[in-house]
Amino acid sequence: MNVGEWLLFAAVLLVVPILTAGTIRKIKARLQNRVGPPLLQPLYNVVKLWRKGETVSEDATWIFRGAAVINLAVVLVVAALLPWVSFKPGLTGDDIFLFIYLLASARFFGILAALDTGSPFSAFSSSREATLSLLVEPAIVLSLVALALGAHSTSLGSIFAYGAAAGPAAAPVWIVAGCGLFLSSLVELSRMPVDDPTTHLELTMVHEAMLIENSGPNLALAEIAYTVRLTFLYGLTVQCFLHAVYAVAPVGMTLLAVLSVLGIFLLAAGTALLETVTVKLKWTRCPEFIAYALTMGLFACMAAIFRGGV
Amino acid sequence: MLKYRNIIILILVPGLLALLSCFGVAAAFCGWSHVAGWTAPPPVYLGVCPVQMRLDSLAAIFLLLLSLVSFSVSLFSPGYLEHLRGRVSPGFYWLTVYLFIASMAAVVLAANALTFLLFWEVMSLSSAALVAFDMTSTQAQKAALIYLGATRIATALLAAGFLWAHQLFDSWAFAGWNFGGPETLGPSVLIVLGFAVKAGLWPFHIWLPYAHPTAPSPVSALMSGVMIKIALYGILRLFAFQSGASLEIALLILFLGTVSAVWGVLFALVQRDLKRLLAYSSVENVGLIALGIGLYLYGHHCGLESIAAAGAVAALFHSLNHGLFKSLLFLGAGAIDASVHTRDLSHLGGLGRAMPWTLLYFVTGSAAITALPPLNGFASKWLIYQGLFQVAVDSGNLVHVGLAIAVIGILAVVGGLALACFTKAVGIAFLGRARSRAASEARECAPPMVLAQGLLAVLCLCLGMGSPWVGRLLSELVSGQFSQPFVPELPMVNLALALLLVAGCLYVAALARTERSLKKYCSWECGYGRLNARMQATGESFAQPIASLLRPVLQYRMRAEISGRDRRHFPEQVKAEAGMQSLLESRVYGPLIAAVRWLSAHMARLQAGSIHFYLLYLLVAVVSLLVAGVVL
Repeated sequence: MNVGEWLLFAAVLLVVPILTAGTIRKIKARLQNRVGPPLLQPLYNVVKLWRKGETVSEDATWIFRGAAVINLAVVLVVAALLPWVSFKPGLTGDDIFLFIYLLASARFFGILAALDTGSPFSAFSSSREATLSLLVEPAIVLSLVALALGAHSTSLGSIFAYGAAAGPAAAPVWIVAGCGLFLSSLVELSRMPVDDPTTHLELTMVHEAMLIENSGPNLALAEIAYTVRLTFLYGLTVQCFLHAVYAVAPVGMTLLAVLSVLGIFLLAAGTALLETVTVKLKWTRCPEFIAYALTMGLFACMAAIFRGGV
Repeated sequence: MLKYRNIIILILVPGLLALLSCFGVAAAFCGWSHVAGWTAPPPVYLGVCPVQMRLDSLAAIFLLLLSLVSFSVSLFSPGYLEHLRGRVSPGFYWLTVYLFIASMAAVVLAANALTFLLFWEVMSLSSAALVAFDMTSTQAQKAALIYLGATRIATALLAAGFLWAHQLFDSWAFAGWNFGGPETLGPSVLIVLGFAVKAGLWPFHIWLPYAHPTAPSPVSALMSGVMIKIALYGILRLFAFQSGASLEIALLILFLGTVSAVWGVLFALVQRDLKRLLAYSSVENVGLIALGIGLYLYGHHCGLESIAAAGAVAALFHSLNHGLFKSLLFLGAGAIDASVHTRDLSHLGGLGRAMPWTLLYFVTGSAAITALPPLNGFASKWLIYQGLFQVAVDSGNLVHVGLAIAVIGILAVVGGLALACFTKAVGIAFLGRARSRAASEARECAPPMVLAQGLLAVLCLCLGMGSPWVGRLLSELVSGQFSQPFVPELPMVNLALALLLVAGCLYVAALARTERSLKKYCSWECGYGRLNARMQATGESFAQPIASLLRPVLQYRMRAEISGRDRRHFPEQVKAEAGMQSLLESRVYGPLIAAVRWLSAHMARLQAGSIHFYLLYLLVAVVSLLVAGVVL
């Protein structure tokens, strides 16, 4: 493994999450005719929280603080597992099911931490989080399985390696699976049509209300975890689209790597635009939105099956 | 005198069981590489065939599971029996438990059909006696009756299937049976259904949620952890590792497995009795194991090795895993029961501070059953996913490909439901505030009980971390049939180390600094004054969004009533009521049982008590036999 590549990857992983979260906020503010916070505001927030003291509910057990640490650890490990175009970071084991169940373990501890304080708000949102994750899980699984079908392997590394050599016929699978992943990411990340991260009322939120009892460094950990999760979920989506592009017109790997980072910002801009023009869906209508993601996953699978000429 | 009695009950009897379990583990390890047979000496004879035992590697796996769980049970039981003081006599309990464990071991080792049936009956009846230990409550009576009914049906189906099989193969020994051909479909279906009833596969699962909660917790651990696996062992023994089965049987098992997985976990989610929740989750996991078996049979039938290898290892591995973590969770529920004297989630809460060890082990078990890496549940679930994926890649039949992908999607939903179900179980029982006085006075259970749970939790972790090796061991077992064993090549150890390292660094960097200056304050209550336990979410409210999404299946209804002069802003009384029912029980089994009762009420008229009628029946019977003899 190339040390230079690894350092570059680590640097990207350090910088891109903060910038992505900042970009969404900034563009959203500009679209709403506000000046908006500086691009590095997420970093400032984390630094500020890091220095602060911490208040913990008197009902909490070790799970509350332990979960914050476990969550960020899981998210960082996942980031180090996922291959990036042709680059494979340190840890082996880039299996799609491993990826999905690692995400589930972060969610498991997130929900437990929310229930740990006995706060009705966080319990309410954690119950919604469980519901959303239940609905979105098959969408993610099917989108990724569609990609795996062509490669005959569930390892993301082999999938990407296969994708690079598959030719133009593979493009539809990549595009449709990418759409499925993007819609699922919006749900997974509690973005707009499903959850509004900026509302003022705890009762209407999912992700933010789960963190209602977190403070100081504990909250900082949760925010970092969120930005990293944002980056690799968008990153995975972008790589699907890029492979579609590559299937039609092969480009150099360096260009592809640059494009993959740019693509994340493009998706961030798209998210900001989406959040400006749409409103949060009523809770009972969220399943309909997630059904689109699931349908994309199913279409991707169908495309993969028929392309393979089974 | 009393003191000696205590010593016997508290130390000697459980100690002997522990010793025997260790012996069982040793025997299981011997059986891995050697085949040992034993035939009972002449006076012991079953009429048409001898009592025959055979220890091979397949039996060794289940013997190992049985021994591990019985060892924990022997540690756990004395403390648990304290809590049942006065309701069950320790003598009866131990005698029946010994009988139960011994008969399970004998069923696993049985080499011919009659030996199998004999010990199968002992197993069923001794477990039924344990379910019925407390016949004073109507709930227990109902549970015992339903369980007994289920065991009767299972045995009847098995007996019929075995007789038919004997007709076909002219042998009582399992080794002489071969269910590959089309003429064996009849006995195969009977036997599979008999095992399905005992294993609790959908739609025969209804006895589980009655029997498991009623039995003492260590017995539930044995029943759910081991006994229902023994039914699946039967399927494996007769079909998988003998000769394979026809495609119909494979598809039947796959179908029952898929439906069980969804149905079980969905109903588990909405339960409020902790042990009932665990019982329904057993239905889910039995479904997953059945999926593994079905994949094996499918692959074997179609000649696709990779599918068969993945399915076989998945079924064996998940049997082992589920036996361990479900026993762990049942023991955890038993610890709660012994400490708080209730298993109703709406009366629990906040046990985590009083019972830190039980919390830790219960979280481990829940994480394992939710298939979170790097615990053992993930490894076996991964194998099932891989098996299905191989079907999608290799089978070449468009319908089968589509079905395999659909089942992968369904398994993802099952995973999501299991996550919701077990976060609910942990969160409502152990976290937050105590919802009742009893829960607020909970104490950690006795050290041996903690140790019993700890042992199983460590085993769950070890099997997860060592999944590549365990997978290799299990595939050695089936390697005679495959050129390429399917091994879960998952970097579990690296993953666990990486997680531990990163989490440790993060803790030191971020949270250890503020550990000293941590401020304690009450949770945010929106400024309404101090939070109280009733403001917390209940199990019902946690599960409500999912339950209302799936209300047609659950028959879920919720009614809220808000009253008061200004009901919008200052309600005086808020009442919410949620109800659900099992569709299968109300729509299928209810009418079925009613029909049987109606029929038997009318049949009873035949027995009129008049000798004339009886003579008439005899005459009719003789005449119709004569006519039948002439015509046929």
